[in-house]
Amino acid sequence: MTADAFIFWFLSLITLGSALSVMLLANPVYSALSLVMTMVGISALFVTLGAYFIAGVQLIVYAGAVMVLFVMVLMLFDLRAELQAFSRGQISGALKLATVGALAGLIGGALLLSAGNVAEPSMAEAAKLPPDASKALGIVLFTRHIFGFEALGVLLLVIAIGTVALARAKGGTHAKH
Amino acid sequence: MGQDIFEIVVNGLKLIVIFLLMVQAVPILVWVERRGSAFIQNRLGPNRVGPLGLLQLLADAVKFLTKEDMLPNQAVRFLFYAAPVTALIPGVIAYCAIPLGTPISIEAFEMFGRSWGPYVFPMQGFDIGVGIVFVLGVSSLAAYTILMAGWGSGNKFSLMGALRASAQMISYELALGLSIVGIIMLYGTFNLTEMINAQQGALTYSAFGHQLAIPALPNWGLFYQPLGFILFFAATFAEANRLPFDLAEGEAELVAGFHTEYGGFKMLMFFIGEYAHMMIACGLVVTFFFGGYLVPYMTPEQVQSWVATWASSPNAVSAWTSVIHLLSYFVKFAFFMWFFIWVRWTLPRFRYDQLMDLGWKTMLPWALANTILTALVVYFAHTIK
Repeated sequence: MTADAFIFWFLSLITLGSALSVMLLANPVYSALSLVMTMVGISALFVTLGAYFIAGVQLIVYAGAVMVLFVMVLMLFDLRAELQAFSRGQISGALKLATVGALAGLIGGALLLSAGNVAEPSMAEAAKLPPDASKALGIVLFTRHIFGFEALGVLLLVIAIGTVALARAKGGTHAKH
Repeated sequence: MGQDIFEIVVNGLKLIVIFLLMVQAVPILVWVERRGSAFIQNRLGPNRVGPLGLLQLLADAVKFLTKEDMLPNQAVRFLFYAAPVTALIPGVIAYCAIPLGTPISIEAFEMFGRSWGPYVFPMQGFDIGVGIVFVLGVSSLAAYTILMAGWGSGNKFSLMGALRASAQMISYELALGLSIVGIIMLYGTFNLTEMINAQQGALTYSAFGHQLAIPALPNWGLFYQPLGFILFFAATFAEANRLPFDLAEGEAELVAGFHTEYGGFKMLMFFIGEYAHMMIACGLVVTFFFGGYLVPYMTPEQVQSWVATWASSPNAVSAWTSVIHLLSYFVKFAFFMWFFIWVRWTLPRFRYDQLMDLGWKTMLPWALANTILTALVVYFAHTIK
């Protein structure tokens, strides 16, 4: 086994393992922390593909900001009720298992069906990229995909304004209920 | 990591040396902090153990190691023990990406009956193309440490401290990230080594095809981005949870914040993590705004040609050049570390609403203004001739 293959399998194992534990752990805080590990694992996989900029952004945005908020909010909850809700009821449990199974089947089926059609990515090809491909990425983003980029920006602005409006409507941070 | 076994071993050793350097610097910094605070407050500080109290560090280390390992009743065992370890890791990994000196090049040589090719070893843990994105990404993981410690302790003071601290870190990360967009646009690169190389020689402004040279000043980023420097440096204080932004601890209201329940060596690891964040902050400030490892007014080539007048072999020339730059880096670095300590013992703590106002309503708009202004200047001054 070459070093590249070893690193790939090792990182995949960590990423998939922590992704699984997001669903399998009963405690929501542990689930959220596992999701953080998944994000870090994905970022490391991006590094092995030579996509350093995406890897860094993945860390800053998802692991560093979005998930911190998730974990923070979860830590404010009374988790005993959550734990009970998770482990209560056989019918809902069976439903959850069935949903997870269906999703896993879908992903697995998609992978199997497309296995022959997709060219296998090679490490040698990734190594040919310049070490800092962010310039090319920026040029593509601001020329070919400018509409999508701007649309996303508008969407985020709408979300930000909506959040502020919702929070203000209830009296903001100093609400007296 | 490298082409052959020699390069891999040297690169591996470099990582270990940088880690040890950071960990070993902490006791000295603690000593500087205690003596410095005493000096500022007109006291003596620790001066009983050894010359100038220097052996106090050893005594403290022994005390930390021999203290009882305590687990609070309500604590979550795994998170409680994992938090101090994770405090250490992001800081150390991020610091490894900061260049400390010019690369050392070694010519081809014979060893163990085979020839080993010429090597170039950068004076940093690893040279990553998108240096600054990587450093910010990895060091932003530090927020989890605080959350894990605060929640895992099963103590309301810890949890409150952790929530405050992580809210603060997220808020200031925004200002921190925006304040360096200007410098990234100016140098046109994410790579820290390229940024440093752009700051060689004497100060030279160039705009509309004209050049204005000011030989009395070095060509540092500070003179291009003064506002960016102030915003960035202030935001790093908040990121490192240092006074005047140490709401995470706030010992007057929260006992000691997220590390209330920690003692002994676990506490020490949090300390090392905090100092690691200070080191990253100082390393980045030096790299962006003070020419990194460059000797002021001189280019690396000038230093190298000066070294070549007395050093014998090409390997020695390269090594001594690197050592001189390393020293230059450490002088600047030490000044900013002292600045952190100086500020801690000079300014009072912010109130929490003041902290949030400063982050969101003052620093963020100024950072945005700085970004837009820099973009306009870079676009018009450097494209229209």
